[in-house]
This record gives sequence, C-alpha cells and structure tokens, in this order.
Amino acid sequence: MANWVLKGLRTGVKSSAYPNRPDDAPGVSPGRPMGTRLKSPTAADELVARCPTQAIARENGGIAIDQGRCIHCSRCRRHVGEAAAWEPGYEWAAQTSDAATALRKLAGMFGRSLHVRFVDAGACGACMSEARQINNPYYNMHRLGFFITPSPRSADILLVAGPVSDAMRLPLRKTYDAMPTPKRVVAVGACAASGGVFGPSFAALGGAAEIIPVDVVVPGCPPPPLAILHGLLVAVERKPPSALVSAAPRPTTGSA
Amino acid sequence: MSTTQFLLAFFILCAAGAILPFLTPQRWLTILLAAIGSLAALVVLVVSAMLLAFGAEFHVTLWPVLTLGTLTLETDPLSAFFLFVTALVFLPVSIFSGTYLTKYLTHHDVRYFSLLYHALFASIVLVLIAGDVISFLVAWELMSIASYLLVNYEFERAESSRAGYVMLAMSEGGTIAVAIAFIMIAGATGGFGFSELRSVAPTVTDALRWAIFLLSFFGFAVKAGLIPFNSWLPLAHPVAPTNVSALLSAVIVNLGIYGIVRVNLDLAPTTGAAPGLIVLVIGSLSALIGILYATIQGEMKRLLAHSTIENMGIVAAGIGAAMVFVASGHQVVGAIALIAALYHLANHSVYKALLFIGTGAVEAGTGTRDLDRLGGIIHGMPWTSAFFLIGVLSIAALPPFNGFVSEWLTLQTMLRSAVLSSTVIKTIFAICGALLALTAGLAITCFVKVFAMGFLGMSRSQAAAEAREAHVGTRTSLALLAVLCVLLGVLPTYVIPVIDRAVVPLAHESATAALVPPFFTANAQQPENLPAPFLSEFHDLGAQVGREFLPGRGLVVLHRGEERNPVVFAMSTSYMLVALAGILVLIFVAFRLLTRYRGLARAAAWDGGLRHLSPGLTYTATGFSNPVRVIFAALLHPAADEGSTEAVAVHFRTAIRREYTEVHIIDRFVVQPPITILRNLAEVARRMHVGHVNAYAAYVLLALLLVLIVGVGLL
Repeated sequence: MANWVLKGLRTGVKSSAYPNRPDDAPGVSPGRPMGTRLKSPTAADELVARCPTQAIARENGGIAIDQGRCIHCSRCRRHVGEAAAWEPGYEWAAQTSDAATALRKLAGMFGRSLHVRFVDAGACGACMSEARQINNPYYNMHRLGFFITPSPRSADILLVAGPVSDAMRLPLRKTYDAMPTPKRVVAVGACAASGGVFGPSFAALGGAAEIIPVDVVVPGCPPPPLAILHGLLVAVERKPPSALVSAAPRPTTGSA
Repeated sequence: MSTTQFLLAFFILCAAGAILPFLTPQRWLTILLAAIGSLAALVVLVVSAMLLAFGAEFHVTLWPVLTLGTLTLETDPLSAFFLFVTALVFLPVSIFSGTYLTKYLTHHDVRYFSLLYHALFASIVLVLIAGDVISFLVAWELMSIASYLLVNYEFERAESSRAGYVMLAMSEGGTIAVAIAFIMIAGATGGFGFSELRSVAPTVTDALRWAIFLLSFFGFAVKAGLIPFNSWLPLAHPVAPTNVSALLSAVIVNLGIYGIVRVNLDLAPTTGAAPGLIVLVIGSLSALIGILYATIQGEMKRLLAHSTIENMGIVAAGIGAAMVFVASGHQVVGAIALIAALYHLANHSVYKALLFIGTGAVEAGTGTRDLDRLGGIIHGMPWTSAFFLIGVLSIAALPPFNGFVSEWLTLQTMLRSAVLSSTVIKTIFAICGALLALTAGLAITCFVKVFAMGFLGMSRSQAAAEAREAHVGTRTSLALLAVLCVLLGVLPTYVIPVIDRAVVPLAHESATAALVPPFFTANAQQPENLPAPFLSEFHDLGAQVGREFLPGRGLVVLHRGEERNPVVFAMSTSYMLVALAGILVLIFVAFRLLTRYRGLARAAAWDGGLRHLSPGLTYTATGFSNPVRVIFAALLHPAADEGSTEAVAVHFRTAIRREYTEVHIIDRFVVQPPITILRNLAEVARRMHVGHVNAYAAYVLLALLLVLIVGVGLL
C-alpha cells in the first residue's frame, strides 16, 4: 500500500519498552516457580517427587528451585496440596562463576555493536523459535546494539541452545575456538544449562558448560524472548543478573 | 664485431643446432639444444641491443632473383625491437627446453625437434630482418611450416594433427592474403624491396589502399590471433609441447603484429581514420572475447591461449589508436599509443612465456593442467609458485608489475581521443576504452582464479598433493622471466625511450619528451622545456628523488598538457615500488608492536564447524568462474546437457549431472556457417554419385556434349 508510511506513523512505536521499563504485556512470560516456604512437613517431599527434572530440592522449611533444570511444567504449581510459588517475571539470566570470565569480559568494549552467533547444539526447536523472536519488530534486538552474524569470526557472543548432542560437540567447540577474544557464551534454555529433559545420556553431553566455558545461563524451557534479551544484557553487564537457584525465603522472625 | 658478423654467427649457430644433434649421443641431446638455443638467443640479444640502443646499422644485399629483384636483409629500429623481444623469449625457453624435452627422449625423436626448433628460430629472425617482399614471404612460410611441425610434434595423437592442420590451413589463408597485398603495392613499381615499396606507397589510389589494408590486416591478424581468426590458438596451444606453446604465444603471434605495423604504418601508411578504427574495434573485441573465454576455461594452457587473444587484442587496439592519431595529424599522441602497444607486446611476451613455462613445470610436477584437479601445489613447488605469482600479477595488470604500465598507457591513450575532432570517432574510442577496461577487470578475475585455484587451498587430487618442485633449469628460466617482469614494470622510464626509437620512423615524432619529463636533468635554472613553476611543484612532490645515483631522465611517466590542464596523466611505478615496500615494512613493524604484549591465539580456519574439511567441499575453478559464466550467458550461449545416471525410479533421481559446453562465439557466427553451407552443397552434389557405371558413362557423354555445344557456340 502506498500509505504505509502514514499507517506506520499512526501505529506508532509498538516495540517492547524493556529494558528501560518493564514489559507488562500479557503473555510475555510463562512465569516460573520460586523457592517456597511450606507449612506441611510432607509437602516438600511431594513436590520433589512431582518434579520430572529434579529441579526441586528440599530446603529447611521449604523447597529451593534449581532454575537451570526447571522446564515450567507447572506440576509443582498445580499440586493439590501446598503448591510452589509462581513468579511472573522474565529477568531470569544468571551469571555462572567461571574462572576465565575476567579474561573474556566484553563490558564497555563494544557497547552498542555486539555480534551474536547462534548455535543450535541439538535443541528441540523451541529455544530457536524463541530466540528468533528477539529479531522481530516487537523485541527488536537491534535497538539495543545486538546483531546476528553468520560467522563466528566476527562474533562477540555465542548463543547456545540444546544439550550438545554428540554430532554437535565438535562444531560447537570449533565455533567457540574460531571466535576472537574477548568473547562470552550465553547458554539458552534448560538443555544448554543442564541437559534439561535429555540430561547427560548416550547421545548428549548434558549442557554447553561440559565443553566450553559458559558465562551466562538463561533458564527456561524455552526461555521467553525477553529472558534471552536479559541474558544478552547480563553478558555485557548492562543489567544485573538473577540467581540460578531460587532458595526459599528466610522465615521472618516474629510472624512464624 | 659488426652486426653482420653477429647475425652470421647466429645463423651458423642455428645450422649447428639443427645438424649437430644427428652426430651426438642421445643423452646429450637436450643439453645441446638448450646450450645452442640460448647461445643463439644471446647473440640476437646483443645484435638487437646494438641496433636499437647504440644505433648500429645492418644492411646486406644477397643474390638477385630472376624478375623479382634483389634479395636484401636489413633492419630498422622496429625490427630490432621485435628481434630483442624474440630473443628475450627464446633464451629462457631454450633453457627450459633442456629439462622439458627429456620426457620425449624415450618415445620421440628429439633430434627432429632440435632441427625444427632452430629452423623456427632462424626463420623468425629472417622474417624480422627481411628487406624485401620475396625474402619476407619465404621466411614467413618457413616459419609457418616449422611452427606447424612443432605443434604437430606428437603427431601420433589425433587431436595434435587436427589442431596442427587447422593452424596450418588458417595460416596459409593469411599468407595468401598478405602476398596479394604485397603484390598490390609492388604492382605500382617494378621492385620488391621494402624501400621501393615505401617510395611508391603515397601514389597508390584510395581503392587500392583499402584493398591493401584489408588484405594485409586480416592476413596478419590470423597470425596475431585476432578475431575472427582466433580459432587456431586454443586448439594448438594445449596439444603442442609446452616450450612450443610458449613460443607460439610469446613470439609467433608477435610476428602478426609486426606485419600489421610494418605494412600499415610503414610501407603503405593508411590515410583517414577508418582503417585505424577497424583495427581498434577488432582489437578491443578480441580483448574482451579472449578474456571472457579465458575466464571460463579450466585447462591452464587453453586458458593462456585465450588470454593471448586478449593481449594481442589490447596491442592491436593500441596500434589502431596510433593509426587514427597519426592519420589525423596527432603524431605525438600516435607515438604514445604505439609505444603503449609495443610495450604491451613486449610485456605480454615476457609474462606469457613465464606462465607457459610455469604451466609446464606444474604439469611435470603433478601430471595435470586441469585447475579443478590442482590446488595446494604451493606447498610442493614453492619456487615455481612464487615465480608464477609474479607472472599472474603482471598479466592481471597490477602495479608495480609490467602489465600494469602498458595497460595503463593504453587506456590513457584511449582517453586522449579528446584531441580528435570527430564525435563519431570519439564515441568509438570511448566504447573501445570501456571494452578494454572491462577486459582488464575480467583479467584479474581470470588470473586470481588461476593462482588461487591452482596453487593455493587444498589439493583436489593425489597428484597435486604430491607435487614435486621443478628442475633447476626450469626454475632458472622462470626466475629470469620473473626478474624481467619486475624490471619492465618498475623501470618504464628507461624502457619508453628505447621503444620510442622504434616508433619515431612510424609516427614521425618522438614521444620521449611527452612521456618522460626530464626531472633528473632539468633544474630550476635550466628548465629544458618545462615551466619553472611546474618543475618546482614536482620537485616538491619528490620527482627528482634518485637523481644523484640514477642515470636517465627521471622515474615519472607523465604526459603534459597545455596551460589549463598541466598534467594529463602521470604515474611512477618506480616510486610506487618504494612506497609499497615502505608500507609493507610499516605494517610489519606496527603488527609486531601491537602484538608485543599480547598473546597470539592460533586456531584452525573457520570451516563451518565441519568434522573434516575435504577438498571436495572447497571452491573449484569452475565454481569460481561461474558468476562470469552466468553474467555473460547471452554471449557465451552455453548448451546444457542434463543427464542422470543414478535413479531409483523414473521420477526419483538421486543425482543429476548437468554439463555445459560452450562453442566459441566466433566459431558459432563466423566459422560454422560457411562450413555448414559447404557441407549442404556437398550433400547436394553427392546425389550425383549413384554408384552405377552407366550413370557415370552418361555424365562423361553429357560433359562431352556440353563442351561441344559451348565450343561450337564460341566458334
């Protein structure tokens, strides 16, 4: 249509306001379970048993969630008895403590021009589908200075999804080696973080960290686009990270 | 020693080279050929240097021939220039032959080769020093036949015989045209000497002049390999022994150019712009068509043969421009154009000889000339590759190598068409200049392909992986030619005045002053035709650097215009070389400084994350040149043949094989139609042959009747 300019102007900016303002549009995140204090002593055991990926651990007086393993199946949330608390946000990316991180720091160096190479190391397709969204007009990674590059030779950030299947082991290693320093690795999704539902098995290593040093983990199965954006921002230290394990809140003295 | 004695020594050497092999044992044959051949070449080098640079004279009157006048041998600077170029090629080719011919020792007669080789050398020199039509034509025929026999050396192979036959047939056609042209000029006078022809030429009529021009130009164009007579080059080069291919491309095609220049600028100078424009257009089209077909070739020798067509086209374009400029009274610009053409001819001879000898070395080291099966041979043959790279850079016309200087001069003279008055001529010049520029661009694509696909990357065959370095004799000849490529490239200001000597008698004006300003000899007090402000400005730029320790006029090639436009074009490959070396050193120093305190990570090249990068996955020569093939599909008109050998079922093919074959555009439009018409006529005539004796008897009777009727009618 000839009046697409006018139409565009009338429509105005529809892109997400994140990270300047939180995005509260419905459906931007499925939410995730949080560490919860439980009243009943048996409830924790029940929840641990219900979790299919061993993401829930008992903690004194409640449960803690290992976000790197959680796949948002909601079994803990829909539990008939005491359910796990549910957090609606999306700033999930967590930093890992890797000794080599200091050498690979990107912060400040390429502030507004970071090139991202995406490697699907045996992912089911969900993470790729979500990661593709950060390139669309709504999430629009370019406004934040992130760009997709096809060659690792010009990449600063390596985005990995999938549990690293045997076939993708060498390509992933080669991709990482081909990237010039300084560089950072962002593992996207539960599979890349811990192996997820595939876990370490005869066909998969169980996480990107098994063969390359991972700096940032974006939990979720799949993580929503805003969580991946948050992961990229954490990788370049433009946003504070979240914790990988959400512990149960400490009992406030007096109320209990 | 006088030039006569030297040339006599040369002919004695050639005779010795032809006869001695029959008296020597087999194992000394190749060494003998190399020794005598290079000695003869050295003698010619000395003679031509004496003739060209030191103003020596040569004139010998041989015996008189009944009714055809006296046979004479004489030289002028033009023939001295061609002699020099010929000897410059024969020297390294002879050295190369010493090692190359050993492969023929077991199953071919090398004595026979030696005989033909020296006969060819002698006849080429004879062509160049012939002083009359008869000795010229006799020497020309000797040269044609000797070169045909050399191309057909491996006569037991069918394709050799066929290529040799095509070459001989085309060459003879050209010779007939040339002979008729000579007879036309000589018809006006009684003598056949070149000096007599020169004196009579201005009196011939326009129609005769046109006939002479067309016959001689197209006759010599056959030898020069210009369109539409280029078919023999890509046929003859691949089948000829490699040293003969080098001679074909670097010497024999030059003789065609010599003939064109000799007749149309010297003996019977053309008048008016039209003949020059014809030469210019044919030259430009040859250049474009030549490089186009070179780019899509995968076989090295055939590629180089097509590239010879291209380079001869560039030379012919320069000569055409010179003819137009001289005929329209712009002698100096004409001289510049002719210098550009002859310079390019010399450069082409040097780098084409280098590339052919390099190809011979590659073939000897790997057993193949197919670029798609080579690759990575730089590891096995580092020296050959380095010399070949110099040849490739030269032919791709990259500064500071020699091809750049002459192509740049040629393109600049195309732009000088601004001095001409006619808009039509200017337009033709502009179009031809554009064609030549496109040619130069494609030449880079073509020769990047040759070097990158042939010498770099991964080996695409076992033979290429096990490439062996060439013999020291081959490397010597390659080194010699590579040094010449560099010298001709970085010292144009010393080469131009020498070529200028050959050009002055043809253009009637010297271009040395117009091309090489005397920045070394002139100073602000004695400006020597240079305005003082102009001189001081160039002194500020550094054009006088080197005057203390270098002879000559300067190191800058510069064409000076009038007041409004003081510099028409200027460049200096000499200073460029210094600057490039400086930049290289700077980059190296900067690199060392920057990486001094940093670790240097070494990782494998990015291959897309493959488990194992195999040669089959890398770029091939065919793949590299495919964009050109696609862009020029309308011109190349490839015929696709799609077949499938692997199929599970009729509609389930597992592999599709598609083959493209290109018939050369000239073959398609110029060569094929007459052949088709003749075939059809023969088909019609064949119907007479019914195979019955009675019918043939009837034909005899009918013929007799016809003769009788006609005879009676006439009486």
